[in-house]
Amino acid sequence: MDQFDSFIGFARLILLALVPYVLASQGTMLSGRTGVFNVAQEGIMLLGASVGFLVALYTKSLLIGIVAAAVAGGIIGLALAYFSSTLKMDQFVIGLALFFIGLGASSLAFKLVVGVTLQLPRVPTLSNLRIPLLGDIPILGEILFNQNALVYFSVLISIALYYYLYQTSWGLELRAVGENPKSADSLGVNVVLMQYATTIIGSALIGVAGAYLPMVYTGVFTQGITQGRGWLAIALTFFGGWRPQLILLGAFFFAIVEVLSLRAQIVGSAIPYQFLRTLPYITTIFVMIYAFRWTRVPAFLGLNYDREKRSLS
Amino acid sequence: MTPSESTLLEMRGVRKTFGPVIALDNVTLNVKRGEIHGLLGGNGAGKTTLMNVLFGLYKADAGEIAVDGRVAQVRSPREAIGLGIGMVHQQFLQVNSFSAAENIVLGTPLRNRPTLDLTTPKQKIRALSEKFGLSLDPDATLESQPMGVRQRVEILKALYRDAKLLILDEPTTMLTPQQVDSLFNSLRAMVKSGLSVIFITHKLREVLTLCERITVLRNGKSVITLAREEATEDTFIKAMVGEEMNIGRSLLFAKSSYETEIAQVGSKELLKVDGLSVEAASQENQVISDWSFTLREGEILGVAGVAGNGQHELAESLMGIRPCKGKVVFDGAEMTTLVTRDLLARGIAYVPENRWDDGLLPKATVAQNLILGSHRRPPYSNGLMLNLGAILKRSQELIDEFKIKTESPQSLAANLSGGNVQRMMLARAFSQNPKLMIVHNPTQGLDIPSTEFVYNKLLERKRAGMGTLLISENLDELFLMCNRVAAIYRGRIVGVLERGQFDAYRVGRMMSGLE
Ligand SMILES: Nc1ncnc2c1ncn2[C@@H]1O[C@H](COP(=O)(O)OP(=O)(O)OP(=O)(O)O)[C@@H](O)[C@H]1O
Ligand SMILES: [Mg+2]
Repeated sequence: MDQFDSFIGFARLILLALVPYVLASQGTMLSGRTGVFNVAQEGIMLLGASVGFLVALYTKSLLIGIVAAAVAGGIIGLALAYFSSTLKMDQFVIGLALFFIGLGASSLAFKLVVGVTLQLPRVPTLSNLRIPLLGDIPILGEILFNQNALVYFSVLISIALYYYLYQTSWGLELRAVGENPKSADSLGVNVVLMQYATTIIGSALIGVAGAYLPMVYTGVFTQGITQGRGWLAIALTFFGGWRPQLILLGAFFFAIVEVLSLRAQIVGSAIPYQFLRTLPYITTIFVMIYAFRWTRVPAFLGLNYDREKRSLS
Repeated sequence: MTPSESTLLEMRGVRKTFGPVIALDNVTLNVKRGEIHGLLGGNGAGKTTLMNVLFGLYKADAGEIAVDGRVAQVRSPREAIGLGIGMVHQQFLQVNSFSAAENIVLGTPLRNRPTLDLTTPKQKIRALSEKFGLSLDPDATLESQPMGVRQRVEILKALYRDAKLLILDEPTTMLTPQQVDSLFNSLRAMVKSGLSVIFITHKLREVLTLCERITVLRNGKSVITLAREEATEDTFIKAMVGEEMNIGRSLLFAKSSYETEIAQVGSKELLKVDGLSVEAASQENQVISDWSFTLREGEILGVAGVAGNGQHELAESLMGIRPCKGKVVFDGAEMTTLVTRDLLARGIAYVPENRWDDGLLPKATVAQNLILGSHRRPPYSNGLMLNLGAILKRSQELIDEFKIKTESPQSLAANLSGGNVQRMMLARAFSQNPKLMIVHNPTQGLDIPSTEFVYNKLLERKRAGMGTLLISENLDELFLMCNRVAAIYRGRIVGVLERGQFDAYRVGRMMSGLE
């Protein structure tokens, strides 16, 4: 159990565990910032895991698998955008339906392609990418700069989203859509286009978060491989106040709890791991109670905008 | 200039329906270059709808829009902006958490898009605000700004986009008299520099001082367009309401014949407030310190003050919405510690100032909104179940009596026009037949007949010996209806004037802290 007990091993595990939370939560945040509240994360991640795994298996390319997972996520995102932004249907109902669709489709695809076998097919796991020079720094280099590509990607995308949202005029328009779509519309911002774009891209990120699991952790696809990480991503988004920078920070907390509960499961500990697993939810609730200003949500989150209606529904 | 050259905008044969409701029917509007064009009409006449069509928010069923003599398609606000049209909506369309500058530049093609460097836009904003006397701080977040400033932001949005035509939908409802004056000066400066303005209001006096030509809408039809010189108040009232109002017997226009009746007050104390203090919940809210006053039966007591000097807090603390200190005795019993529900049951009703945020459930039906507050009592409820039949019957009566323009009692409240929301709130309060009624700016956004109607209702209450606390920024209204008027400034009562001593200048000085 070196991994858990050496400092380097433990820190590396946290960074590994960080990725799906960051990606899924940034994806949630992105569409939420235009008012589309995606609640299908768990389904999208499962679908991404299944599709990513299968495509990687047959093309023998993890990269193509990841792209395929993104496309699968994007398609669910497109559906969500169509039903909420165009047809103005209830986002939660649609989100839950899409969750079940993702759930079903992921295991169906796997059964159709692989069938029932005793020997589960495997894909190679993502290899580490050592960054030249930085990777040679003692200790830190090993922890931070000798990781798989998606670790770097998830940090970079968080930084990019922060920059985009707060430092560009596109970001200003995007945020305006989630705060007051009518105001944005009356100034010529294309509300529907914004919602489609963020929902599709956001769901694609969530799909990649799903594909990460078989490609990094297990090498195989199993049902329920996400283990509730999709739901946790929603909690993390609130925890991080719908802000990319805080979501990245909050993800560390979620990742630490995950690694600790994994350790408790394998090594055994005084605290039952079931309790540890509920910790992120409980903390999120406390954060929302005590730091409400901090966790300020977009004003029109979950509501649909209809230009000719006087109330927003 | 030939007539066609001087015309900036023409709308012809515009029709717009919402389901079975015909909001606009064959409407024509013609606006010249460099004029302030008034748009008058009763509540629900279709003014806002017409402007929303012009601004691309509503798609018209039929009709044509020509700008600069060319027929134009306006399918979205973006296209309207492209044609040089800017609109200040009845309810401001702003992102509260953004700064003024961010709200203004939103959606414009910034040259340095990827950097969000607002230095150059801010220079332009400052230049515009100086030129037209629309002072504001571009960096202040809108949440913390008073209504007057927020409106300037809306106007600057249009000017920033080089609008040739500025639409203002009831811009003066939320403004103090001083703010109205400064708005008018800005508008005159804009027209001088070549802009045209469409100005919607219910206040005839404003139209007659500001507008060169005036178009009147009634029930979704354009009735007439007149130049200011050709017309008098009476002409417009006739055009707006048809023959339905008798001006000779009107409270508004034949004040003196009601004087003795209004001056009467009962002898018994209905409400006694002693040392009322309210602490600020946040910085924006004014503290009330140590207010004492009484209100007798049959009395209408006025509270005059510039918005934000404590009147909102007064109303909310009396209604049990906001915690307060001091002693309040109502109808012989202490009610300081009672909660809103009990206060309602004891016969106090409240018409809040902000109808959209505090007065209305937008997604509930008109009927539900009308019985809100009495919904726990018979005949609407037997304690367990609502009696839908009784609710519908009563709300239909109220809709008829208060002339609420709605398709049915079951329609969504949010679809009502601004003035009709106000009528609905008044109907709710009056129908509770309360011993004490607290009304805050009750006639804001109401057309002339409805205003007259409300005054008559207040008079009826007076005859029945019931009390009314009338909080208003409209001095004409206060002087017309009240027995006494308390002027307030920065959370203090500066003085109380009796009927007979009313003097606009004196009250004005008191309200601005000069006395
Ligand atoms: N989005 C909508 N959905 C349904 N009905 C609507 C909608 N917008 C307006 N109406 C209806 O159209 C009619 C005209 O409304 P409009 O808001 O144009 O009146 P208005 O002249 O601006 O009145 P006010 O002075 O009260 O603001 C009303 O009967 C209103 O209920
Ligand atoms: Mg209106």
